[in-house]
Amino acid sequence: MSLFAGPVRPLTRELNVTNNEEKINDRITDPHDPGRMTGAAAAVAAEELAKIYPGDIHAVKGISFAVEAGEAFGLLGPNGAGKTTTIGMLNTTVKPSSGRALLAGRDVTRDPIGARSVSSVVFQDAVVDRPLTGRQNLELHLKLWGVDTSVGRRRLAELTGTVGISDILDRPVATYSGGQRRRTEIVRALLSGPEVLFLDEPTVGLDTRSRHDLFDVIGTLRERTGVTIIITTHYLDEAERLCDRLAIIQSGTIVACDSPARLLASIGPEVLELRTDDAAKAAAVLRANGVEPDDVVVIGQTLTASLRAINGARALELLEDGNVPARSATARHPNLDDVYLRLTGGPILSPADRPE
Amino acid sequence: MTVTAIPAPILGKRGEKSRTKEVRAAPTLAMRRLALSVRNPRALVLPVMNPVLFALVIAPALANTVAGPAQQTTYMTFLALATMGLLIPLNSLFFGIGVVVDRQQGAMRELLVAPIRRSSIVLGNMMAAIAITSLQTVVLIGLSVARGADYVTSTHVLWFVGATLVYTVLMYSVAEVLATRLPTAEAYTAAIPVVAIVPFFFAGSLFPITALPGWLSAIAKALPLTHALALFRYGLTPSSGVRALHNIWGMTNVTAMAVLSAAVIAAYALLAFVAAVRLFTKAGTS
Repeated sequence: MSLFAGPVRPLTRELNVTNNEEKINDRITDPHDPGRMTGAAAAVAAEELAKIYPGDIHAVKGISFAVEAGEAFGLLGPNGAGKTTTIGMLNTTVKPSSGRALLAGRDVTRDPIGARSVSSVVFQDAVVDRPLTGRQNLELHLKLWGVDTSVGRRRLAELTGTVGISDILDRPVATYSGGQRRRTEIVRALLSGPEVLFLDEPTVGLDTRSRHDLFDVIGTLRERTGVTIIITTHYLDEAERLCDRLAIIQSGTIVACDSPARLLASIGPEVLELRTDDAAKAAAVLRANGVEPDDVVVIGQTLTASLRAINGARALELLEDGNVPARSATARHPNLDDVYLRLTGGPILSPADRPE
Repeated sequence: MTVTAIPAPILGKRGEKSRTKEVRAAPTLAMRRLALSVRNPRALVLPVMNPVLFALVIAPALANTVAGPAQQTTYMTFLALATMGLLIPLNSLFFGIGVVVDRQQGAMRELLVAPIRRSSIVLGNMMAAIAITSLQTVVLIGLSVARGADYVTSTHVLWFVGATLVYTVLMYSVAEVLATRLPTAEAYTAAIPVVAIVPFFFAGSLFPITALPGWLSAIAKALPLTHALALFRYGLTPSSGVRALHNIWGMTNVTAMAVLSAAVIAAYALLAFVAAVRLFTKAGTS
């Protein structure tokens, strides 16, 4: 597929994956499917986008993806995976080493001002001027993006009303709570009527209630504005809740790209999670009895196995017979953590990183 | 499979809108910077404190101590005007801290993803610095007159106004360069005395540069502040200004000397401004 011109291969073929991973990828992304982008306008298109920092650090290794207008697309991966660099290249603050990207038809390298004029960014950290009032911050954004005054006023009233910050607009931002500040940042980003909105780790630093409130706010604003959203996150629940499609990034490479439902379906209906004294031996026992190698993941003393080839009871019997009895065992529905483990062989988050 | 990118909007319309945005961007950013300054009155008062104290307290005291009764007013005026050589660098450099703060607190990122040229950000900050410096200059000159300084009002004042403007452009550009290159507000603050105060002692502020040793006098002639001070004096105290210009150039054509000194400051200002924009632009895209 070409996002620009000339013949190219399907997206999944461009991914840097091993044979096994490619098999998984084929299942979950279905390269024979002409894809969402056929006949649709790509609001965001990246082709072989790469970034090499000084010191020969390959932060992003030639990734390609296309995002349909109105779609919410997530870049999911651990810290250092290349998410923020990818967003940086798309919002023109990071210069690509190679490859191309378009935002609503504008080349981010050749026409950076054009690309910036059709996009907005909600950054991981607050970027509003804290000494100024919310209204001053929002009006500054309107002026910088050249929004007509009357249109700007109307949008400002509508958006601040929608997210519930109208009554605090004339207070200095320094007096806002974290959640109020985040809402202000999101309204600010939407005031210019962007075609593409980047949300870079939008809920980092927020408490649980504020996070869930923000999910609602983002969902509501998306419905009302139809804006295309690109979200980077390492929170799996956030990705599942907000995104139509997810690209899982590891070490600068997209290792899978599909809807959360299809990514989950790739695991099967149920997974078995058990703790044992010798998880590696337990994995060998299961693999020797018909469980696909990729369906078993071992992290420390915990083994997670997709229950597609055998059921949970049979798996426990096999382990008993193999003299590696489970100390505890749970059968449960798969989550994106399992998808991530399966694709990358490692957890996306350390326990300390998990949101409350 | 083929993906159709959204076609670019009609160029003329988008182009016009972009140009309008660009023209408005610098004043908008200047207003932002002024709004931030108003919320932080210390940032406005502190840079003017030293020059005002110098003009109102130290200059009369020094004049009283070292000059004879007939020359006290002349020397006090000489010193009071010299405080412009402190005011402009100090104010410009204190103003530049805002750039470091923007970067550290995140606001810079919002500006970098705005659909404007990076140079507009530098220009906007500079416009605000010029506005504040102008206000402080009026206050300083007004206070020194109230204290007894004796300035000549004539069309020469345009040399003073022009030199103030160009020297502010130079010093603010230097501030932007430092703010872009130095990683923290602490490192930046440490650089202020070196850049803002050290040249003051060699540029003919307290005494003519001819009183310096020969080699130091040669260095002084290369300092932009020496030329700026000579033009400040030429603007408000023409006879003193002519002497200062002659000490630099050794010529008899006063206008030619003034033009040459103005050209020197302008050249420094242009170089510093280009460097500021280039460094800022480079730093804004990694």
